Amino acid sequence: MSADEIVLEMRGIEKAYLTGEVVFRALKGVDLTVRRGEFLAVGGPSGSGKSTLMNLIGCLDRPTAGQYRLAGHDVSGLDADARAFVRNQLIGFIFQGFNLLARTSALENVELPLIYRGMGSSERRRRAVDALRHVGLGTKLDNTPAQLSGGQQQRVAIARALVTEPKLLLADEPTGNLDSTTTEEVLALLQSLHRDQGMTIIMVTHEPDVAQCASRIVVVRDGLIASDRRVETPRQAGVDPVSANPLLGGASS
Amino acid sequence: MIMWLMAVRLALRSLNRNKLRAALTVLGILIGVAAVVAMTALGDGAKANIERQLGALGTNLLMVFPGSNTSGGARTEAGSRPTLSEEDAEAIGRELYSVQAVAPVLSAAAQVVVGSRNTATRIQGTTVSYFRVRNWSVARGSAFTDADLRISARVCILGETVRRNLFDRGEALGATIRVGRMPCTVVGILATKGQGSFGNDYDDTIVMPISTVRARLRGLSTREVNQVLVSVRDAALMKRAEEQITSLLRQRHRISAQDENDFSVGNMQDIMATLETTRATLSALLLSVAAIALLVGGIGVMNIMLVSVTERTREIGIRLAIGARSGDILAQFLVEAVALSLLGGLAGLGLGWGAGTLLGKTMEWTVTFSPSAAVVALGTSSGIGVIFGYFPARRAAKLDPIQALRHE
Ligand SMILES: Nc1ncnc2c1ncn2[C@@H]1O[C@H](COP(=O)(O)OP(=O)(O)OP(=O)(O)O)[C@@H](O)[C@H]1O
Ligand SMILES: [Mg+2]
Repeated sequence: MSADEIVLEMRGIEKAYLTGEVVFRALKGVDLTVRRGEFLAVGGPSGSGKSTLMNLIGCLDRPTAGQYRLAGHDVSGLDADARAFVRNQLIGFIFQGFNLLARTSALENVELPLIYRGMGSSERRRRAVDALRHVGLGTKLDNTPAQLSGGQQQRVAIARALVTEPKLLLADEPTGNLDSTTTEEVLALLQSLHRDQGMTIIMVTHEPDVAQCASRIVVVRDGLIASDRRVETPRQAGVDPVSANPLLGGASS
Repeated sequence: MIMWLMAVRLALRSLNRNKLRAALTVLGILIGVAAVVAMTALGDGAKANIERQLGALGTNLLMVFPGSNTSGGARTEAGSRPTLSEEDAEAIGRELYSVQAVAPVLSAAAQVVVGSRNTATRIQGTTVSYFRVRNWSVARGSAFTDADLRISARVCILGETVRRNLFDRGEALGATIRVGRMPCTVVGILATKGQGSFGNDYDDTIVMPISTVRARLRGLSTREVNQVLVSVRDAALMKRAEEQITSLLRQRHRISAQDENDFSVGNMQDIMATLETTRATLSALLLSVAAIALLVGGIGVMNIMLVSVTERTREIGIRLAIGARSGDILAQFLVEAVALSLLGGLAGLGLGWGAGTLLGKTMEWTVTFSPSAAVVALGTSSGIGVIFGYFPARRAAKLDPIQALRHE
């Protein structure tokens, strides 16, 4: 297996928080390897350290101990600006709360990461429009988040994550704020990215049937990886969300 | 470069979203900058005025007044007893080498009438050398002559303001006007001289032979004068001439060594120095108002920027998460602070302009607006923006992305 197929590799990653006098070890030595094209679901009880792990993977934070290689580079000890650069170049983020800029159009939200790359405005616009079309929002370019539904907002956020063509897509509970129909929509979109473009995705979720859409499920418990297994036949999301949901009156169609 | 352009766009958008807040915040800066602008305008005006007057009156001008009390060259009309005469003036001109020309002045206030128009003005009775001493020319017509002086001719030369008041567009030269009860022929019109430093209008005057004023307007039997104007040959001789005039007059007036002068000698430099002091006091006052207002304004900007950073913590978190560096965030908030205070600076420039003009009108001061005032206004306000915006901007730039994203 060639080294370039490994997107991320963590060895003995620890993260300790100091609250007052008390040191709390949120991660106690995590080993994790993710290869290109994997779709990872991260599960586990609340407070087990899933978000902490995701923040480290996304270079939003630095581990207290351990080694972390991302796309072949050691990123364990980078300073804040270097990590900002890595995030901008290699990683796309999708958050539970969408985290779009309020009172700012979908298009401008999607352009944002490219602005920080110093990309010229016409190229930026072209790419942002493409990304929004890709997530099915080609007609909502000028809508602000307040003028979009929850599912649409999350799709704008996905477009923003994809517009930089990242090596790794990180999603911390991307469906946590969505109803079952839009959950299926978003999952279907992630699955198609995974299947059609070979995108590497890591997604935190509490819900077993959401996790079942991934190709591999990792369970974190008490700051350690408790189980790590492959999903032989992932559930295909959103095959027919309308008939699957009795509230939408699927029977009458 | 793109980063800065974007920061400017973001700043404008952010200010546009909080118009009222921005307006209230910049009030302090507005007042401070307005004070600075008004101050520079008044200062420049006063300076230009002083220079113009020195030019207009001749730098080498000395003035001798009757009476002993002078303060800073300003005459107090204490001398009830006439102590200065035409003979004194003649003696100064005759006996002192340092003196180039001498003009005695006897003045009178009079109502002047032509047909249905009338005006009140000051009449200066003097000799032919007056025009040379005051460096003042007759624009049209001619000055009166020595012959006119000998016969106390009823001739006069009008200042431009008097001419305008009496004749407007009509022809003044050759016309007969009534000065008090005396009919008098207009033989010349003086060149325009403009405003004096006390807001007096130099052109609001009539000049005529001193003998005419003495005999026909004042009805005096003595040859007393209100003033003797002396033009000194060279600027370097000013002090010397002043001393010589003093000792000559003391001698002529038979003043014993222990007694005080019954006259006073003033020069333009002294008078200008007094004016300059007044101006400097005013400037200092305005400057302290400006400094306080700018400080208050700067603190206002800092305060509102801190509020803005707190309000937008989540936004900052998002920007950091998707790859903004701390420098980008710093630039964004710094530019916003500068834009905010520049806004105040621009408004202050307008207000200062208006206030300066108004002040100049009501107080009859000369006000000069120079491009430097605009540079000072905008420079000061953007400086305030940088200084007081830096702390909030740095606070924003140092936020931790995870904490910021979690912020409600
Ligand atoms: N900044 C911090 N300071 C101190 N303790 C922290 C901090 N962030 C997280 N923790 C602690 O670390 C532990 C793991 O938190 P984390 O957010 O990773 O949990 P999680 O698995 O994502 O939980 P959830 O499913 O509820 O989102 C928790 O006990 C939390 O209290
Ligand atoms: Mg979490």
